[in-house]
Amino acid sequence: MKAITLKPVHLRKLAAISEVKGKALFSKNFIIMPVFSIGFTFLMDLIYGNVIGNAFNKVPMSAYALAIGTLMNISMMGIYVAAAALAEEKEKNTLRTLMTSSVNGLEFFLGSLIPVVLMTVLVNVICVFIVRLPMTPAQWGGYLAVTTVSAIIATVVGMLFGIFAKNQVSASTITTPGILILMMIPMFSGLNETLEKISGFFFTGITFDLVANIKNGSALIDARGILVLTAELILSIVLFLFLYRKNGFER
Amino acid sequence: MNQEYISIQHLSKKFDKDFVLKDVNAVLDRGEILGFLGPSGAGKTTTIKILTGQLRPTSGEAEVLGIPCDRIDERIYEQIGIVTDTSGVYERMTVYDNLKYFARLLNVSLSEIDPLLKRIGMYEQRKKTAGKLSKGQTQRLILARAILHRPKVLFLDEPTSGLDPSTAVEIHNLLLELKSEGMAIFLTTHNMEEATKLCDHVALLNEGVIVEYGSPEEICLKYNRTKRYRVQLTDGTKMTLAQDQDTAGKIMLWMNDNRIETLHSCEPTLETVFLEVTGRELK
Repeated sequence: MKAITLKPVHLRKLAAISEVKGKALFSKNFIIMPVFSIGFTFLMDLIYGNVIGNAFNKVPMSAYALAIGTLMNISMMGIYVAAAALAEEKEKNTLRTLMTSSVNGLEFFLGSLIPVVLMTVLVNVICVFIVRLPMTPAQWGGYLAVTTVSAIIATVVGMLFGIFAKNQVSASTITTPGILILMMIPMFSGLNETLEKISGFFFTGITFDLVANIKNGSALIDARGILVLTAELILSIVLFLFLYRKNGFER
Repeated sequence: MNQEYISIQHLSKKFDKDFVLKDVNAVLDRGEILGFLGPSGAGKTTTIKILTGQLRPTSGEAEVLGIPCDRIDERIYEQIGIVTDTSGVYERMTVYDNLKYFARLLNVSLSEIDPLLKRIGMYEQRKKTAGKLSKGQTQRLILARAILHRPKVLFLDEPTSGLDPSTAVEIHNLLLELKSEGMAIFLTTHNMEEATKLCDHVALLNEGVIVEYGSPEEICLKYNRTKRYRVQLTDGTKMTLAQDQDTAGKIMLWMNDNRIETLHSCEPTLETVFLEVTGRELK
C-alpha cells in the first residue's frame, strides 16, 4: 500500500530534493512559464498605459494587468510546472530511483511543492513591481497571503494531474483544459453574470477578484472568499492523498 | 556462520489469472552472489520488484535483511542498492551532482564521491552532463549511485545487458570486488557466461518456476551425462568423441605421436542445461 503517512520528514532530504527541483525550474522546459507571465504582465501594462495615457486611470488598468499576470502565473507555473516536473521524473525513471532510495512520499511531495510555490510567489511579487501598482502594507499582506494559498492549491492540483501523466507531453495535454478553465472563467467573469458566479468558486477567481479590489480600495477578500480558498486547499490535498494512496505517484 | 540477507520461501505472484512466479525458494547469504537466470518473461524482474517492495507477492514469504518485503521502507532502502532497467539518472545534472544528490539523501559524506568515481572509472567524466554519457557510462553511474552508501544487499537486473564486452568485464570485476567486501548481490541475467563467472548460486527460472538451483558447477556436473571430448589434431581434423576405452586408446596414441593440437572435455554449460530442462533457449 502506498500512502503518505505521518512518517518523519528529514530536513536533509527535503532540502536536497527542493534544491534539485528548484534548479530544474530554471531549465528551458520550465523557465518559459514564469518568463511568459512576467512578459505578459509587462506587455499588458505597456498596452494599457499607452491606451489610457494618464496617471489617474492607470491604477485600475495596472491592477487589471497585474490580475491577469497573477492569474497566468498561478495557473501555468503552479499547475503545469508541478505536473510536468512530476511527469519528467517518471519519464526519466528517476522517480522510482528516488522512491527506492530512502525518500518517502511526503518528503518527495513537499520537496516538489516548495520550489514551485516559492517561484510562483516570487513572480507574483515581481509582477507588482512591473505594473508599479501602489499598495498599502495591508494590501501587500492580503495579496501575498491569497496568492500564496492559491499557488499552493495550484501546485497540489498540478501534482494531482502529474499522477496521471506518463510524460511531459501528456502532462501538457491533460493540464491544458484545466489551466484554460481556471484562467478564462475569472478573466471573462466581468462580462457575464454566470461566469462571475462560477468564478467565485475558483481559487483563481478569488485571486483575480482580490487584485480587482486593490484598485477600488475595498476589502481585499471577504469571508466567502476565505471559505472557498480554505475548502479548495483542503479538497485538493485530500484528493491528492486519495489518488496517491490508490496509485502512488505512478498510476 | 552464514548471515542470511535474503530469504525467499514459496513465493508466488499472479497477474490476473497468470502466474509469473510459482513457489520460488532461494537464499542469499552475506558475501555471495545469487543469480536468477532465465529468458525474458521468466519472472526475474518480478522477483526483484517483490524483494525491493515495489510489488506485493500473491503468496509466500520473502525477507530482505530480516524484514518482510511488504514492509520494506526507507530504513531498508538505506541498506540496499538497486539497479534495474527502470533506474534513471538526472540528465541535466553532471555525473558528480547526480551522486552528490543521492549522497545527501542517503547521508553519505561528499568526500566519498571522488574515490567512488575513480573506482568505477568515471572520474574523468565527473563534470560531464549525465545526458551526454554513453550507455556504458550511464550504467556505471547508476551502479555507482546504487553502491554509494555501501549497501548490504545489491539488486542488479540485467546490469550488463547491451553493454560492450570491455565495460561488462569492468562491471564484473567491480561486482566481484564488492562481493569480497561482504556485499550480497542478487543478480538477474540471461547471460549464462556472466552467471557462471559471477554467481555462487544460480536459479534457472522458466515461466516463473525454478527448474534448477545450485552452484553453476554443481548444475553443470549434474547434467554431464554424456561425457565427451573435443579434439583437434595438428592436421586440422576436429572431432568429438565419447568417453570410452576406444577414445582413451586413440587419445593415448595421438599424444604419443604428438598429433594433438587441442583437447577439451565437453561439460554442459548453463545454457545447454537450460535448453535440456526447458526446451527453450535463454535468449
